[in-house]
Amino acid sequence: MSYATESGEVQSLSDAVLRQFSATVGAGGIIVELNQRQTYECDGLTAMRTVPSAVLLPRSRDEVQAIIRVCAEHQIPFVARGAGTGLSGGALPAAGGIVLSFARMNRILAVDFPNQRITVEPGVINTHVTNRVAAAGYFYAPDPSSQTVCTIGGNVAENAGGAHCLKYGFTTTHVLGLEVVLPTGELVHFGSPAPDAPGYDLTGVFVGSEGTLGVVTAITLRIVKRPEAVQVLLAAYDSIAAAGQTVSDIIAASILPAAMEIMDRLSIEAAEVSVHPNYPVCEALLLVELDGSRGEVDLQMQQVRALCRSNGAWEDRLAQSAAERMLVWKGRKAAFAAAGRLAPNYIVQDGVIPRTKLPIILEEIAVMAAETGLRVTNVFHAGDGNLHPIVLYDASIPGQEAIAVDLSIRILHRCVDHGGSITGEHGVGKEKQQAMGYMYSEPDMDTMQLVRCAFDPENIANPDKLFPRPRLCGEKSGPYTLHPLEAAGVAEYF
Amino acid sequence: MNSPLSLNVIRERLTEVVGVEHMSVGESAFVVSPADTEQVAQVLRLANESGLIVEPCGADTKRHWGEEVQPNLFLKTERMNTVREHTWQDLTCTVEAGCTWQNLQSVLAQHGQFVALDPLTPERATIGGIIATNDSGSLRLKYGSLRDLVIGMTIVLADGTVARSGGKVVKNVAGYDLHKLMIGAYGTLGILTDVTFRLHAVPRHTRTFIFASEAADSLGKMLISILDSQFNPQAMQIRFDGASFWLDVQLAALPEVMEQQANSLPTLAMEFGLTMSDASDTIWSARQDLFADTAAFIVKATMLPSGLAAAVAAVHSLGGTCVAQASGILTAAIPADQQSGIQSLRAVLEQDGATLTILQNPANSILGRWGRLPDSIDLMRRIKQQFDPNRILNPGRFLGGI
Repeated sequence: MSYATESGEVQSLSDAVLRQFSATVGAGGIIVELNQRQTYECDGLTAMRTVPSAVLLPRSRDEVQAIIRVCAEHQIPFVARGAGTGLSGGALPAAGGIVLSFARMNRILAVDFPNQRITVEPGVINTHVTNRVAAAGYFYAPDPSSQTVCTIGGNVAENAGGAHCLKYGFTTTHVLGLEVVLPTGELVHFGSPAPDAPGYDLTGVFVGSEGTLGVVTAITLRIVKRPEAVQVLLAAYDSIAAAGQTVSDIIAASILPAAMEIMDRLSIEAAEVSVHPNYPVCEALLLVELDGSRGEVDLQMQQVRALCRSNGAWEDRLAQSAAERMLVWKGRKAAFAAAGRLAPNYIVQDGVIPRTKLPIILEEIAVMAAETGLRVTNVFHAGDGNLHPIVLYDASIPGQEAIAVDLSIRILHRCVDHGGSITGEHGVGKEKQQAMGYMYSEPDMDTMQLVRCAFDPENIANPDKLFPRPRLCGEKSGPYTLHPLEAAGVAEYF
Repeated sequence: MNSPLSLNVIRERLTEVVGVEHMSVGESAFVVSPADTEQVAQVLRLANESGLIVEPCGADTKRHWGEEVQPNLFLKTERMNTVREHTWQDLTCTVEAGCTWQNLQSVLAQHGQFVALDPLTPERATIGGIIATNDSGSLRLKYGSLRDLVIGMTIVLADGTVARSGGKVVKNVAGYDLHKLMIGAYGTLGILTDVTFRLHAVPRHTRTFIFASEAADSLGKMLISILDSQFNPQAMQIRFDGASFWLDVQLAALPEVMEQQANSLPTLAMEFGLTMSDASDTIWSARQDLFADTAAFIVKATMLPSGLAAAVAAVHSLGGTCVAQASGILTAAIPADQQSGIQSLRAVLEQDGATLTILQNPANSILGRWGRLPDSIDLMRRIKQQFDPNRILNPGRFLGGI
């Protein structure tokens, strides 16, 4: 597999259609100039690019609905875009399609403290939710590394995670209700202010559907009371395996930290150079955050430190202030960007394995990397087995990008072999479509298609994403066949 | 039944699939007990081709929930009752749909773990039925609902297609979460045959405190105040038992911390004119006890936490008893002669986006089970149409005739 770039530079929409679009948002809300459209040709996965035919910037739900109706009338593909920070090509436009930018729909619509919820437009930035409720002692829990720029709409599309989802859950845990424009142009509401609205859990299936089922126009989120005490521990080890064992021991001791992260030597060094978090220099750094009531956190932190020591940590340092804690996290969250200091190009991967397979997979990654001659650095959400191997390469060396892409996909395959997943929080998008076929059998994906066909019979909502090959509604492969891994007796269930 | 095959041929085929000892012909329907996913698939394929209406059954503890179905075939999950694996180091387990809740929990308890949910009739209710009805109890406040706890599932569709959704890892965003669509779908989209859960450690120290009051209002204020505090209870409910109103609070904390919290709760309570007493954990079965009144309406109402006290007071005025959990779910037993009262309560709730569903309908009243239909009902119908075009799985049981 190698990345391809489709050209969308030639305007494929007729003047009449462009006039229709223009009427929905006004002249100031549509971008048709080529050089301006080019800004929207890719998201965080910059290796794949397609210039959209037009970019629309709606200001309201009604405008979104009007735009989708035009798309439905002419079967024009659309993709919603927040801040464009996605890492799997989720916001990559389709050739001949439009981009719906939510840059102008960034209002916080309502805050309800007694019931611990907030309603926002999709263009609201993740940290702005927390900022809005912080004074009352609340926060919004999902915290992807890009949280200072990424939007809630994008978080909903990708079911974004972050370091703290170990304890607090993912975006799906925090979404209580959605207002959605379906690809048919219908405006519908999923969920309700109350839990368990009668009917199918459409919110559950919509969150994480990567823009393929429709577009959200308002989101009601749960906000969480900020715990009384927070402590962050940094423990330095001579091996990743020892750090990994500590994680297992902490879980076995019935402690549920707010976050547990591991960084390897390369990542530590890169973070140090980029934001100076003052990490100890070591082979593996374990970062443990505990939160809760003060008494509980104190007692559990003693236990955690003892477990770190018994697994060979030669330094276990408690961040002493809120500022120090923030710096620790800043270093961790800068890890992806800091990889740019290690090599001209890099691919961030997002595999998941059952936590106990951590030592095995890290060894396998090291072997595979050595075979290709490329370096791979690892940062991961160790508590929930979500790995972010970063494959470093130099695109100016002929052939090296293809080798790097191949290596990153093979790492994902190994994750699946161990009973894990090809993506824990970045989504499948355009990047991992083929890997979906490694994780799921044809009948599994056919069944997912039934959902898509109910939502989007014309296949215009972010088409050609997620699934390994385009399918038409009504098309179905034969009866269930064993997954190759099942047939080989490697795995029973995925 | 409008079948191209004769009943005898169908019987023979079903017998071939599940074996003669696991198939019988009841008064009006076949009763089959498949052994595994593959057999379920074969049974459904046959039913789909023959137009047989299928009703999946676990332990029948919630069979009267939803509109009645007149099936041609009962598909019982009783033989699929094994806890397949408990990977305690990874805090996950995989269990078959016919396993009872209690059996699963007792296996998990060997490693001090559990699925953090407290559904009704755990000693009899099966995994499949609990998921199909999206049941949950008081622990939902801390641990969330099945949507947060189910991480994978095997689903058999009406045409016999076997689909796997999710997996064995807690964090996984690959593909659509089909398993979330199955939760609370009342068996109308497919039959689930096994489920993978994420697990939690069983809290070692819990204590329950109760506050009595002559009115629900002050308890509602106290409840909101605790939600906004650092007490972090794992369960909380307002209860009316026919005589008094109660607020029940269950804390889970290390013993040293519990002591502190137990000392500061009464101070908070004083603000609302309430006094605290210790109570046994058995009060958490109060929701279950409501179902003992088989002559009453049993309703499930859902609302914002701030609306709980008013709803409890409304149930009181209808002569009913109830348990209203802090997550926003109220279960009530209301006398059978209060149909119009229930209707008014539903209307009031629906004005605020809340809902009222009738679980047990003793008088076979004309009250609709589901209340006002959501604006997404057409989409729900399209989903049903995609998954079960011949409408063989529990047709008519779900809202809007789905």
